[in-house]
Amino acid sequence: MSRPKPDLDALRAQIAALEKRPVLADGAALLAQKPEAGKDPLLALLNVPPGVLHEVFADEHRQSGTALGFTLGLARSLIAQNRQALIYLQLGAEAQEIGLPYGLGVQSFGLTPDTLVIGRIGTLPELLWALEESLACRAVAGVIVDLASHPKALDFTVSRRISLRAAAAGTSAFLIRYGKGREASAARLRWHVKPEVSAADPFDAGAPGNPRFVIEIEKLRLGQATRTGQHHLIVDWTENGFVSVDPRKQRPLAPLRRPAPPSRPLPAALGDRLSQAS
Amino acid sequence: MLWEKIKGGMRIVALDAAASRAGLSVGQNISDARALVPDLVVLEHDPDFTTHVFSEFADWHSNASPIVAVADSMAPYGDLILDITGVAHLFGGEEKMLATLVGRLRALGYATHGAIADTVGAAWAFAHFDPGRIVPESELETALAALPVEALRLNETQAAGLNQMGLKTIGQLYGRDRKALQARFGASLVTRLDQALGLIEERITPRVPVAEHFAERRFAEPIGYLDDVLMTVRDLAIQLSIRLGAEGLAAQSFHLFLYRVDHKVMTLSVNAARGTRDAGHIAQLFVHRSERLEGEYDAGFGIDMIRLAAGSLSPAPDVQVGAFEIDDGAEDLTRLYDRMTSRLGPFAVVRSKPVDTHIPERAVKLEPVIARTPDDPGALGDLPPRPLRLLPTPEPIEVIAEVPHGPPLRMVWRRLSCRVLKASGPERIEAEWWRTGQKLDLLTPPAVGEAEIPPQDHADPNKKPVKPEQPARHVSKLASFDPETTVRDYYIVEDEEGRRFWVFRVGLYGASSPPGWYLHGFFA
Repeated sequence: MSRPKPDLDALRAQIAALEKRPVLADGAALLAQKPEAGKDPLLALLNVPPGVLHEVFADEHRQSGTALGFTLGLARSLIAQNRQALIYLQLGAEAQEIGLPYGLGVQSFGLTPDTLVIGRIGTLPELLWALEESLACRAVAGVIVDLASHPKALDFTVSRRISLRAAAAGTSAFLIRYGKGREASAARLRWHVKPEVSAADPFDAGAPGNPRFVIEIEKLRLGQATRTGQHHLIVDWTENGFVSVDPRKQRPLAPLRRPAPPSRPLPAALGDRLSQAS
Repeated sequence: MLWEKIKGGMRIVALDAAASRAGLSVGQNISDARALVPDLVVLEHDPDFTTHVFSEFADWHSNASPIVAVADSMAPYGDLILDITGVAHLFGGEEKMLATLVGRLRALGYATHGAIADTVGAAWAFAHFDPGRIVPESELETALAALPVEALRLNETQAAGLNQMGLKTIGQLYGRDRKALQARFGASLVTRLDQALGLIEERITPRVPVAEHFAERRFAEPIGYLDDVLMTVRDLAIQLSIRLGAEGLAAQSFHLFLYRVDHKVMTLSVNAARGTRDAGHIAQLFVHRSERLEGEYDAGFGIDMIRLAAGSLSPAPDVQVGAFEIDDGAEDLTRLYDRMTSRLGPFAVVRSKPVDTHIPERAVKLEPVIARTPDDPGALGDLPPRPLRLLPTPEPIEVIAEVPHGPPLRMVWRRLSCRVLKASGPERIEAEWWRTGQKLDLLTPPAVGEAEIPPQDHADPNKKPVKPEQPARHVSKLASFDPETTVRDYYIVEDEEGRRFWVFRVGLYGASSPPGWYLHGFFA
């Protein structure tokens, strides 16, 4: 057990070189990467590096807005000057079940309607083809796949393939899934996101405030699930990105500063790496 | 022999040589004909089908000449026109060309006649009444003079009238007073005469658009495998790209014509988001496109010619990509969109285009990424919060709400009930009075038991009922504009688990018809 970690990493890299495949970033290593003092490590994880396959789980279809909002929040930080497009893929038949992304609404997550390209695809094999094709493109920041159903074809092998492709191209993939069941998958990170009753609007006590999520990380590395409730965080989406909210103050007495109307295009340079992009 | 119902009787409309030798004639009653020839093969005539088959047959002839048309002035099928200007030498002269074209059809069992002349009218006349002739320009008038007047593509009454007057040949018409002819037989007679003589122009409408830039390959032995076709496409794409490159052009649309030996043409088209002449890219688009036609591909007895044509040309001179240019990956993206579109179809890969309107489902139009239209500068106004997702069709919900303007207190959606903790609104969105008929059509509250609003713009750009630019047509079945039943009040509601929905009420309490509640979108 006391084997030093660098050896393990070197061994991994060696095996990867032998197998001629990219080294997969390890979720646990990502988590350990930014141990900023006084900050929740999970919050640092919300700013994940590119090239990772995520799974975002919501409990039910009616939480599809929450799942998409959280995913866009994650994916937004990946947009750089030479990677300006986010691709959203959905099976055409499922649009009525979970809704289509609305160009004017995604602005509240710092994306212009132009950035998000929507693919409405007929069959799962074609969707997977489109996913791989988009991942391979070096100008794509991230690919979001929204699946309301649980197709058999999307098994461990396929997810492994996607995760390798993502790592090879440095493009992140996000799989939005619904339901309480979990299938084996090669995703580096598995998120579980739930909506939470928001803080009241300071100017209108009866109105909902900023979107609030309960996020939980269920998986950090291949084949190793975290214990439920271990990493658990309540965040608000504000104009500066995700802001952690103290879970003990479920209903904060002093509500958060109300940002500019969320529908206005948010200054994308705030809170992400766009301004520093090479 | 073919028959058709004419004036209540089953009459013959077409027959072959053997039948006419047996004494049958067009217009004869079918039972009379059966009495004459007991073992007659009788088929019903389907003009639409024949027209369709003949036009496919015509398309196939574009392997001989770029301009092919169906002469539909007399019948919608049966006469084929080829403009052979500058083509004949490829066949070794006009005689050989005529012999080749007619001969290859005869070899397939068609009864064919052909002729070559300077005008469409004259060629038609010779093909029907003196087949096999090639009439040079100088002899046109004298050669035509000997033909009967029917050769001028006249209708039956015109021809019968002329014959009655003793005017049997075209030559007899030459010196006649044109005004008298026109008064007696109609203007079309004079027009036809002039067209045959080349005094006035007759236009040919080509069936297949004429491509200026194309590459083609003929095969001595017909090929059948799709892989072979795609390999040929790769070669043709290289040829085409060299040709385009020499003129500094780039093309946005590419059409592939596969000429089958059994007279059918298969066409495949792909479009690119921006002009390109990259052979590898073009070939790849066709590979993706071909994957979309699983099962539709049918080589028949083989393909003996393939042509790749370029359309929508734009100048694209060779430029050096500057060392100081910022690489924003835009080119990679358009390539990606091209590939996805060629395989998935143009309406599968879309972007949101804001439109200047307040009606939420109209405010964003989904348009294909490869066919971008300029943005509307007035579209992105300062709007109240909008949901992250919109349902293509709003779903009806049951709501308990305060009358008249209160937000919902409890709602039932998809058979699950939830209590509303917080709500903001209403945001009132009025129907656009300048599209009265249309809006009423979309927003008439459903009758009891009927639970659907017709699909709207956001749902399917394929089936747009009326484009916003076009003025709405008056639809008489609709009730007159009534603002009380078309106004929508939108609320953002949050339930006890924190889910945030966008719901609206159509109509007002106290109006002539009761209001309806719908769920339209989800917030994060």
